[in-house]
Amino acid sequence: MNGLHGIIFSYEKRNEMQELGQIRSAASIPFGGRYRAVDFALSSLVNAGCTDVGIVLHGHYQSLLDHLGTGKAWDLSRKRGGLRMLPPFNYQQSWGAMPFRGHMEALAGVRSYLDTIRQDYVALMDGDLVANLPLGDIFESHVKSGADITAVCGNDSFATDDGTYFEISDGRVTEVLYNLHRPRGYRGLEVYIVSTKLLKEMVDECTAKDQYSWRRDVLQARKDELYLRSYIWSGFAAQMRSVKEYYDRSMQLLDPAIRAELFTPARPVRAKGDDKSSTYVGPEGVCVNSLVAEGCRIEGVVENSILFAGVNVAKGAVVRDSVLFKGTEIQGGAKLAYVICDKDVKVQENRTLMGHATYPIVVAKGSIV
Amino acid sequence: MKKECIAMLLAGGQGSRLYVLTGDMAKPAVPFGGKYRIIDFPLSNCTNSGIDTVGVLTQYRPLELNSYIGSGLPWDLDGSTGGVHILPPYMGSKGGTWYKGTANAIYQNIGFIDLYDPEYVVILSGDHIYKMDYSDMVKRHKEAGAACTISVMEVPWEEAPRFGIMSVNGEDMITEFAEKPKEPKSNLASMGIYVFSWKTLRQYLTDDEANPESENDFGKNIIPTMLGDGQRMAAYRFAGYWKDVGTLDSLWDANMDMLSPTSGLDLTDDSWPIYARSVNAPPAFLGGDAKVTHSAINRGSILEGTVENSVLSSNVTVGAGARVSYSVLLPGTVVEPGAVVEYAILGEGCRVGRDCRVGGSPEADSADTWGGLTVLAPGCRLEDGREVRPGIMLGKNAEEVSK
Repeated sequence: MNGLHGIIFSYEKRNEMQELGQIRSAASIPFGGRYRAVDFALSSLVNAGCTDVGIVLHGHYQSLLDHLGTGKAWDLSRKRGGLRMLPPFNYQQSWGAMPFRGHMEALAGVRSYLDTIRQDYVALMDGDLVANLPLGDIFESHVKSGADITAVCGNDSFATDDGTYFEISDGRVTEVLYNLHRPRGYRGLEVYIVSTKLLKEMVDECTAKDQYSWRRDVLQARKDELYLRSYIWSGFAAQMRSVKEYYDRSMQLLDPAIRAELFTPARPVRAKGDDKSSTYVGPEGVCVNSLVAEGCRIEGVVENSILFAGVNVAKGAVVRDSVLFKGTEIQGGAKLAYVICDKDVKVQENRTLMGHATYPIVVAKGSIV
Repeated sequence: MKKECIAMLLAGGQGSRLYVLTGDMAKPAVPFGGKYRIIDFPLSNCTNSGIDTVGVLTQYRPLELNSYIGSGLPWDLDGSTGGVHILPPYMGSKGGTWYKGTANAIYQNIGFIDLYDPEYVVILSGDHIYKMDYSDMVKRHKEAGAACTISVMEVPWEEAPRFGIMSVNGEDMITEFAEKPKEPKSNLASMGIYVFSWKTLRQYLTDDEANPESENDFGKNIIPTMLGDGQRMAAYRFAGYWKDVGTLDSLWDANMDMLSPTSGLDLTDDSWPIYARSVNAPPAFLGGDAKVTHSAINRGSILEGTVENSVLSSNVTVGAGARVSYSVLLPGTVVEPGAVVEYAILGEGCRVGRDCRVGGSPEADSADTWGGLTVLAPGCRLEDGREVRPGIMLGKNAEEVSK
């Protein structure tokens, strides 16, 4: 127990994930061949010595519950603390049935849980962020700085759908912006460190005024009154909010430098194991510039692609620039380019699916093409 | 806690015929098939057969095996009643001894077995690759009203002298047992898998222990004595894939069998999964110039060169321009750019330097000069450009070791 508590938000929000986002919350979107987005937040927390993590859930969370189980894979299955699932249990008005309108409403929905937090500080994180953050350092510098809230910001040219942007001067947040037509400032990663005491005060205050938005009613409204500090993270940080963003960010993993940074042995990204056998590449199989998980069978051609566990690419099939989720089956003679196949998709013989780098095609879970 | 059936797994094998490859571990902890260790097979078979209590008898260099088994979680053997238990030799108030033989190992753990008061005890060994439903064997044991049931498989007649051979009557009850007979009367070989009725076995173990002449071994003492006493001994016929991987050649063969669907070793069947404690690493990456064919690969690997007809474990690196053929690379092996590895088994964490040549192929050598598999001990590091001839075995300091 090191004084930092984790809260991960995983509830439905406006996004452009098409079929990928209809059946699951963004936190359980598969990424990088064997991970779910939430694995990165959980690993960042656990690698920072965090022992207690609550996950705020609402809507389509079956997939996430299946994935997390007891939290064993992250050493979060504990007698005291560990992983806590937080569906909306403090019903008020229509919170049970309607999606949360913002983080403050979501926190109000689990208000009694906040009172059980044993740690003095809380890291608030969005479940749709893929980044291997040095949360231990971020936490330490937050405490040292005496800031009220530290906002972690990305430092790359990527924009994200419905992103929050910060203007920063001398490490201090001077402006909080969103709904920007043309993004400016630093992209917020929606990771914040705040003291448990202040967080509870703010939740109660917002509830009393029927305010639900963290960025509008807390960050924007109180930026002059509170000390809002920024922490700039220059490493890989992807927010899974549109198909295009998902695709571009996935393809970045084929770059060895990005993999080396995201999967640094100093902060291992933990994920649930798969009980699959080794991947087999057949005598005529070709597999180049690709990431391949366990239990695949590759008899055809695979190029510039990411294959999750148990993918089957038959002889004569050609898969290029695509992301194939767990259990995808590509039959002989089929041709795919710029396609994202959700779980258990079957593409039958001699079918052709062609997207483009600017418009990858999504095939919904379980579809037969 | 009463259990109908528990399993005892003899995992004390030194693995001396695997020579340097076992390094500091017991044979059942030796990696197999890219992501498994040998002991995953009997442990997974137990779980899949509905046996939830397994005692694992260890004595040689058990550290790696103990930490691998841990709580038994990967095999679902971490239940609150039963689960997997490591059973090393121990000291009692009247002293204690090393496990003298397979039967003595069980004898010393009578106390453990009595805790569960089982009707039947399945005795397994930790050095075979196979998938078997032990519950079907127990069913055969019950139906035959046997005191002991031994699983057997047909082997080619010419190989029969290498095995313990059972002769059976028309009801497949065992009438005769011969350990490595020069002139076998049958080709039914014992697979070293036994089901005993515990009350009967308990008595035989106690009597056997009291006999100073005995070697305290199942095959040499317990089975022949029971047969001599006229106990009902049933044979249980097994027809699937089974391989003793106690030698370097057989270990290599079994790895190659995994690649070929005709061998009968299918590890992709979801109805009988083989579980393993998996390492945590990102998926394997195959580079732009990688040529990987007819091979098994695993997570954490970065492959830039040529890999053909090989089994690669997790976290293996094959550099650009390197070639690995007909080889088995255990976890964490690094093959630097330009190196060639053929017909070899590389132990855990080996490093083959740039432009090394390790092993050779039987096609390139004539039959009389072909030395066989080349083997590197775990942790062996070869300096750049070194040549290791076929059949050579190197220890962990890259010194030559004789087989």
